[in-house]
Amino acid sequence: MKSFKDHNPIAVFIYYLFVIVPVMFCTNPVLVCISLFFGIAFRMAKDGAGALKKLLPFAVFPVISMIVNPLFVHKGVTVLFILNDNPVTLEALRYGLTIGLIICSTVVWFSSFNSIMTTDKLLYVFGSVSPKIALILSMALRYIPLYGQQIKKIRQAQQVTGLYKEDNAIDKIRGGMRIMSVMVSWALENGIITADSMTARGYGVGRRSRFSIFGWQKSDKALMAATAVLGLAAVLAIGLGKLAYVWYPQIVTPGASPAAVVCYAAYALLGAIPVYLQLKEEARWRSLQSEI
Amino acid sequence: MEILTVRDLSFRYTLGTEDALKGVSFGVEEGDLVAVSGPTGCGKSTLLRMLKKELTPAGELSGQVLLDGVPIGQIDAKTAAASIGFVMQRPEHQIVTDKVWHELAFGLENMGYPQDVIRRRVSEIASYFDIENWFEMDVADLSGGQKQLLNLASIMVMQPRILILDEPTSQLDPIAASDFLTTVQKLNSDMGLTVIIVEHRLQEVVPAANRLLIMDRGGRLLHYGKPREVCARLRERQDLLMAMPSTVRLFSAMDGRGECPLTISEGRQWIGGFGCEKQPVFDPSSESSAPLALEMDDVWFRYGRNGHDVLRGTKLAVHEGELFCILGGNGSGKTTCLGAVAGLNKPYSGKVRIFGKDIKEYRNQELYRNCLTMLPQDVQTIFLRNTVREELADAGEAAKDLPYDIESLMDKHPYDLSGGEQQLVALAKVLATKPRLLLLDEPTKGIDASAAARIVGILKKLRDGGMTIVIVTHDVEFAAMAADRCAMFFRGEVTSTGAPREFFSENNFYTTAVNRLTRGWFHGCITHEDAIQALRLQG
Repeated sequence: MKSFKDHNPIAVFIYYLFVIVPVMFCTNPVLVCISLFFGIAFRMAKDGAGALKKLLPFAVFPVISMIVNPLFVHKGVTVLFILNDNPVTLEALRYGLTIGLIICSTVVWFSSFNSIMTTDKLLYVFGSVSPKIALILSMALRYIPLYGQQIKKIRQAQQVTGLYKEDNAIDKIRGGMRIMSVMVSWALENGIITADSMTARGYGVGRRSRFSIFGWQKSDKALMAATAVLGLAAVLAIGLGKLAYVWYPQIVTPGASPAAVVCYAAYALLGAIPVYLQLKEEARWRSLQSEI
Repeated sequence: MEILTVRDLSFRYTLGTEDALKGVSFGVEEGDLVAVSGPTGCGKSTLLRMLKKELTPAGELSGQVLLDGVPIGQIDAKTAAASIGFVMQRPEHQIVTDKVWHELAFGLENMGYPQDVIRRRVSEIASYFDIENWFEMDVADLSGGQKQLLNLASIMVMQPRILILDEPTSQLDPIAASDFLTTVQKLNSDMGLTVIIVEHRLQEVVPAANRLLIMDRGGRLLHYGKPREVCARLRERQDLLMAMPSTVRLFSAMDGRGECPLTISEGRQWIGGFGCEKQPVFDPSSESSAPLALEMDDVWFRYGRNGHDVLRGTKLAVHEGELFCILGGNGSGKTTCLGAVAGLNKPYSGKVRIFGKDIKEYRNQELYRNCLTMLPQDVQTIFLRNTVREELADAGEAAKDLPYDIESLMDKHPYDLSGGEQQLVALAKVLATKPRLLLLDEPTKGIDASAAARIVGILKKLRDGGMTIVIVTHDVEFAAMAADRCAMFFRGEVTSTGAPREFFSENNFYTTAVNRLTRGWFHGCITHEDAIQALRLQG
């Protein structure tokens, strides 16, 4: 049994795709609220109650959107009051709130996505498209810190050798050019070593295979299957317009039609998966710990 | 049985005017550890590259290199890549990928092995090299020593039959270097791996080697055989002896008879045989009374607000006209200390005074004008032209004003020079600012004994001209030869200072090979010359 974040990155990536995207394509307040609820619940399960404090600033999105939308959109039949000769309507206000909540829930889900999907996992996901891309990305990620360090070293070396003036802006620009020039020859010269090291280890002798430290276990497949079934159910219902809201001039909800209820339930189950896995893992660990 | 045979190998680079290798022949038995030595530019690296088909440079080649009796050109690409492993000098640049585990798997991926084979081999090698703890780390976060071990591991994972190493420890500090060489020796003795290694640190390699190969200028093979026998045959060649372990040098200088001692313990037994009744008398050292060129008073520094203190109340005083060496282990803060003197690191407490004036009162680069200059550790950071001549012109330095001769290097590309030559050119550049205080960070890193001796001579000449020189170094042999005074740096503080003779005589572990050889027999011997003087006294 492993917690959500330890599952195969492809399964996790696809999960996020299914949990984030449907909400964005259907301005349905019920769906958004389910999404937001589980997004927050997962952060709290993962990082403790303190996570709530970190998520609080995201509340500005629904607030701002709720205020701004009625100021520009004057459609809707339920006029609340008149501002500068323009009607402010309940429909526009509710629509604004929903849009704000969509942004908010997306950001909340992304906040856990960022902490779970580290670069090596993303690399694995995109690399599964092609081993070549995987290698190129991996080399690029290797070079970024290497070059960064070297640029810092060169800058310091140029300063402490005291060979160059640094009196005004033009000197500073010249300094920057010098650093670039040193950097280019350094990168080319030492790139040869990297190339040698690659050929010495047989790069290019045949078809490359691809190794990763992430495996496919039963639980990964289970996560994939659950995501697919629940996610596709939600997507199907949305695609068929079963969840569509009419906002203007008057709000018409899809109500509690069977299709809508199934979709809400499927999506709620989908959203609950990470929380469930996290809590189960913790409970299991606590019981194991008590036996140690 | 001979695993590798080199037959009458000659080679000339495409644009070369002379042969880089001339008629080289030798054979390597399975399980041999071959140490290769020779002066700079003798073709050692070229020879090694001839043994690895993928790295053979373009040029005219004659003769043969056979692996198990088959010319290496005829071996299929996969087998050739896997069966001969090659480790180079610079640890950073041999690493291809961003993660430790990916680097280990890189070679096996190239071979096209399936996932489960790679998994087994990678996990096996990671536990053998004890890199499980950093298995999932970014390679950028590793130390130099760890990087080089990773390079070795990611070659060993391909199960090579021959391991070739081209100065693998030249960029490492002594402790990491020693760890690395121990690992190589262990691979040789545990696995029967055949090893061919070019190294500056022959003190450690020669006693472990069972073959020593000496190259001479012009790409000729001078000697090849058992280390003791080869060492005995080097008597006439002072230049080649310089690189040998100090026991061998002493034995040769004293015209020793019988078996040449290789290790320190063998050397001590041999010295014990001299009787050691008369103690040598050395000139007493005197402390300079010149005004202070550099003073650090209770300096505290950390890199970030939440970092830990790297300098912890550092106190240091260097007199004008002194050649001062700061020694210390990795992470002791000695390079940070030099950075504080150079104005790169701003201490949050305490004072740094340069020629009696607070460093904070130097405005707008005033500090770097005819006052202070620092030669960084990686001298490639200051090269920006295509020839040495342009480099000097860029700095406004005339070659004839230099206290040493680099005329022969003038038209070369700075990157094509040897490590020692690069140091000299970089030094020439920074001398253009006419500094009164010269700071050097590890000037002997990656250079051989004779180049180090040359640098010692040059620095002493500069000091005699009135310059104050402060050097941060790991290299105790260099400090013993060069310094007027030494300081030991430990945990951000100077824990002891003194003239090299007293300083090293009082240290037990952190001292020169000669001192370890003569300890208990003679008092105060720290350099090769001291030991010769002491031994000659015994008649």
